[in-house]
Amino acid sequence: MSELNLTFVDKAIERIGGGKEKVLEILQAVQGEFGYLPTEALERICELTEITPAAITGVSTFYDQFRHRPAGRYMVRVCIGTACYVKGGQQVYDAFQRYLSIPEGEDTDPEKLFTVEKVACLGCCMLAPVIQIEDVTYGHLVVEQVPAVLRDFLEQERTRDRQKGAPDRAEAGAEYGEIRICVGSSCVAGGSAKVYEALKKAVKETAVPAVIKSVGCSGMSFLAPFVEVVPANGASFRYAGVRPENTKAIVLRHFKPKTIKPKIKNAISTMLDKILTDKAWEPVTRYSVDVRDQPVADYLGKQIHIATEHCGHIDPVDLDEYSSYGGFDALEKCVKQIQPEQIIAEIEESGLCGRGGGGFSTHLKWTAVRNEKSQKKYIVCNGDEGDPGAFMDRMLMESYPYRIIEGMAIAACAVGADEGYLYIRAEYPLAIERVARAIDVCKKRGLLGDNIFGSEFSLALKIVPGAGAFVCGEETALMASIEGRRGMPRLRPPYPAQSGLWGKPTLINNVETYSAVPWIIRSGAAEFARLGTCASKGTKVFALAGKIARGGLIEVPMGISIREIVQDIGGGIGGGLRLKAVQVGGPSGGCVPAQLAHTPVDYETLKDVGAMMGSGGLVVLDETDCMVDIARYFLDFTQNQSCGRCTFCRVGTRRMLDILERLCAGQGKKTDIDELEHLAEIIKASSLCGLGKTAPNPVLSTIKYFRSEYEAHIEKRCPAGKCRALITYSVTDDCIGCTLCAQHCPADAIECKPYEKHEIDNEKCIRCGTCKNICPADAIKVE
Amino acid sequence: MPKLKIDNREVEVPAGATILDAAARLRIDIPTLCFLKGCDPSTSCMVCVVKIDGLPNLVPACATVATDGMQVESDSEEVREARRAALELLLSDHLGDCMGPCQMTCPARMDIPLMIRQIAAGRLADAIVTVKKDIALPAVLGRICPAPCEKSCRRAVHDQALSICLLKRYVADVDLQSDKPYLPQCKPSRSKRVAIIGAGPAGLAAAYYLSQDGFDCTIFDDHDEPGGMLRYALCSTGILPVSCNHRKDADATKLPRDVLDKEITSIMKLGVEFRPETRIGDKISIQDLQRDSDAVFIAVGKLEQADVEAMGLEAGKNGIAIEAGTYQTSLPGVFAGGDAVRNRKLAVRSVADGKEAAASIAQYILGQPVTGPERPFNTRIGRLKEDEIEIFLNNVSDKSRVQPTADDGGFSDDQARDEAARCLHCDCRKPQTCKLRRYAKEYDAKPSRYQGPRRLFSQILEHPNVIYEPGKCIDCGICIQTAAKAGEELGLAFVGRGFDVRVAVPFDRSLAEGLKKAASQCVESCPTGALAFKN
Repeated sequence: MSELNLTFVDKAIERIGGGKEKVLEILQAVQGEFGYLPTEALERICELTEITPAAITGVSTFYDQFRHRPAGRYMVRVCIGTACYVKGGQQVYDAFQRYLSIPEGEDTDPEKLFTVEKVACLGCCMLAPVIQIEDVTYGHLVVEQVPAVLRDFLEQERTRDRQKGAPDRAEAGAEYGEIRICVGSSCVAGGSAKVYEALKKAVKETAVPAVIKSVGCSGMSFLAPFVEVVPANGASFRYAGVRPENTKAIVLRHFKPKTIKPKIKNAISTMLDKILTDKAWEPVTRYSVDVRDQPVADYLGKQIHIATEHCGHIDPVDLDEYSSYGGFDALEKCVKQIQPEQIIAEIEESGLCGRGGGGFSTHLKWTAVRNEKSQKKYIVCNGDEGDPGAFMDRMLMESYPYRIIEGMAIAACAVGADEGYLYIRAEYPLAIERVARAIDVCKKRGLLGDNIFGSEFSLALKIVPGAGAFVCGEETALMASIEGRRGMPRLRPPYPAQSGLWGKPTLINNVETYSAVPWIIRSGAAEFARLGTCASKGTKVFALAGKIARGGLIEVPMGISIREIVQDIGGGIGGGLRLKAVQVGGPSGGCVPAQLAHTPVDYETLKDVGAMMGSGGLVVLDETDCMVDIARYFLDFTQNQSCGRCTFCRVGTRRMLDILERLCAGQGKKTDIDELEHLAEIIKASSLCGLGKTAPNPVLSTIKYFRSEYEAHIEKRCPAGKCRALITYSVTDDCIGCTLCAQHCPADAIECKPYEKHEIDNEKCIRCGTCKNICPADAIKVE
Repeated sequence: MPKLKIDNREVEVPAGATILDAAARLRIDIPTLCFLKGCDPSTSCMVCVVKIDGLPNLVPACATVATDGMQVESDSEEVREARRAALELLLSDHLGDCMGPCQMTCPARMDIPLMIRQIAAGRLADAIVTVKKDIALPAVLGRICPAPCEKSCRRAVHDQALSICLLKRYVADVDLQSDKPYLPQCKPSRSKRVAIIGAGPAGLAAAYYLSQDGFDCTIFDDHDEPGGMLRYALCSTGILPVSCNHRKDADATKLPRDVLDKEITSIMKLGVEFRPETRIGDKISIQDLQRDSDAVFIAVGKLEQADVEAMGLEAGKNGIAIEAGTYQTSLPGVFAGGDAVRNRKLAVRSVADGKEAAASIAQYILGQPVTGPERPFNTRIGRLKEDEIEIFLNNVSDKSRVQPTADDGGFSDDQARDEAARCLHCDCRKPQTCKLRRYAKEYDAKPSRYQGPRRLFSQILEHPNVIYEPGKCIDCGICIQTAAKAGEELGLAFVGRGFDVRVAVPFDRSLAEGLKKAASQCVESCPTGALAFKN
């Protein structure tokens, strides 16, 4: 092997520093350079820093992000978050492996071009199943599109302009209108970047008086890419599913070119468009959605925006715009006018509870930190949203970074902290970028740093990117990670309020919790407490995904029923199928069955029915979803993400998974259900941290409501037709002999017989479902 | 100073003390695996869990700080169950044999691997102690035993099994031919009498172990010399009922009378009284013996149902009915073993019966609960995969099985040592100090309670003194802390996460490089057999 040039490592350490806590940052830099972590580089780091070989080994093998083997040229990340999983993410992953001829047990193709990895959740649940190749996201994938996606990516690589200049922004005068395009991850994944470029081009070419503005997420991911046109005179128009080729027509529909010449040019080019495309011209209105349209009105109607205030029209990184809506007024009030005790009293009156899952009263945490006598206190924002099927925090960080910063600053002011960290998942690069920019802007404007608003109050904030470990969402593990250690939870007490970061009192709250704070201070605690139920106050942001017509980010008052969310906001299940259950709270939560759809969503009631608020992922399941498989999926996830510290979680969840895998493979035993319940009780009662204590919930709740499905699996049947080992595909007499199935079968299990009834070779069949999806005559039967 | 109650007993501890510290003050033993004084608590094994009044979950005592007014339960059924579950979960992922497969298949549970290592090291005086701890007549059995142990020898899969039976014979022969054959220490007489009926292998073995334990034994036999079937069916003119596996010629299958005599003599020397030509039922009855002694052991050989009933005992399918494991018959104080209770004609089984019944008899006489001999806890790997055998072969002689060349069919010193060098050392190197084994026994944990696919066996041998078997590691991290404290440059680290986490040397370097200073300390602080001294 050729000698590695380690000057990069030396320089990186010079830039980052050599303290023990820098280990994640250094490793991320090194991996960014080499694509993996060469041993020589790790040894070099140990030579130059305080980091020991044992520490660097422990840390670099703990987090999923780090590789110790060279990777292919491009990384393909296949999301297997809950929403993607129920929509076939695993099959997509298998298809990549197959198509790239990646040998069993490896992750890179023989040509070393692509490395295919599974990731827990890319947070684009509405576009499920989703994959990412480098920074390009592809959504709504089906197995047979895999070759096309790879081709498309390579094509783009060849041609794409890698320059990423700052977006063009004309100075917006009053006579100018705005064209807003959502640049949240879902929309970017849905193609909004291309649309953005096309809009820019269209505006330039047509010279219309319009400003293109990238805005934070509207929440309406089901409409991605989403464009809103706001002419100078007011009334806005919304377009969904916009394609680059539509942009010019959209622009010209709302704006008149300022000069004559372009007008003529436009007329000509429009005419030319009509002539040159042999397809019939599709009127742009087809994509238009208006708030008056029923679906959008329904989607937005029941929502109340607090954490997501001004959603869809505020530029995420424009501080002036945030300020123009009263941004940082709340902080100023807290710093200048009211005492810390009063801030906490406001929070207490509002009834705000932790939105990260635990639901612990926010004011109690704040009071505990406030009461600690210490020269140094820290404030931490938990942005390590790891639940597969949840993307609320990502959206909040991408769209409203100033609100989070303001919330943190208010909290810091209340508890007496002057230094803080935002721990953000590595899988959310856009969130990291936006928050980092927002912090910079705040520093420049004196909203962060020393003597904020000319007061005694100072606050320095820093981002720590996570490195791929779900367990770091647990507060003690998160702190260990910030300190540069393996993200292992520890026993509480002591709580972070007493002994947190580096042993100092530390306040940790979730992104959404901080996001609600400025609103509460500005609008008054009573306003907030008016919303929700008597025990659960205010609103909650949910990521609505899965088998649902209109999914996305929603903010609703606590106490709204599951049915209202699924039917009224989400528009119900598509495809004529029926609701089976809603998975609430991800791997710590449980399934609420359709017959309990009237259940109000609040902390207590969800717990009573065996689910959990969790961080707010709502994955809708229909009758084609196998509940045993769903339980297996979640156990596989938690088992994989267990830190490995305590026996009950490390070995116990593994033994539960063994049983579930057996059941799904048709090798279940009569005693398996009892054994699962027995293990679940032990793990719940005695695991060290929240991850272990709640890991059995998905299994217990599915056993509770869908016991008959477990029993069916013991009898080697999968009623939902999902578990591969228990199902067979066959062709019915409805076959029209079109040969499509044979053409698309990736396993050559169907012989091509034009105009004859086709047959599936069960030995060869890999049960990927391609034939069923492609068949125009619905002639593929699964049983 | 917080005051708390553990199991309703009050204790006061300094501020900051843990529940474990508090329990120690009350001399309440809370089991721990991953805790070591001086190291940060790992809270990993969770075997030390206790229940605190008012808390829904169990907490680890090693890291939970005692607070004023705390009420702790350390021994309730809930706590014990959770501890057992933790142990059973650890065992479900524990890859190792506490005892070698040979020992497990030996009816007498002789510590064969230890004997073999003692032979290899030339420590024959120790070897005979090892052998006679479980087998009262090793020179005899060394000639007639069909050696079930050899059938389970792991090496048989590779080339041929160890020649265990001949090695045992070698140890016994060397001892018998020495000036002062081994005589075990006997406890002072307890003045308690045991009547043993039958001077065959079972009766002799019982007498041998009971005498050592301070009981006065009298053996009644209807023949004029002791030995039973060994003498009257196998010696010189006798015919061997079970073919002997390592000698083929007809002459050699006979058990030399002098070997039997010498070995019986060494038993009788412990003060056993022999009453020849005394047939029970003729001169004395069982009831007489019951009256005159503190316990009776019936080892008369094969019995018909009518004979059993004539003795006033309940009959079973193969002779006298006994309670499994304790050898108790239907009459109080009357025990039975050997061919009188089973129709096996396997001398080593009879010898084992004698030893085990002796344990029950002692318990009975001393007024203890009669449970039979203590059954040591054992985990087993089970069948090995082909390349796993290769791992075991790494550190041992690659010669094939040694064939004896002497006329009497026994090993020479060199042959014995060569053969002993072939042993794979399947048994654990820390069976006595392993805390996992100790608590598994104490909490009656079943190693197969939870089952899952097992890991691949591996062994790390490159350190000069220390062997590391990752399959036995419980991921407590004590060795990592120990190495770091000792100032090891590389030391040890956790590699990976979750179920797959393993302890290893950083950067794939060797164990010798990782542990330059702290190897011994790490072995001593390792709670299981994962890190052990090679010898």
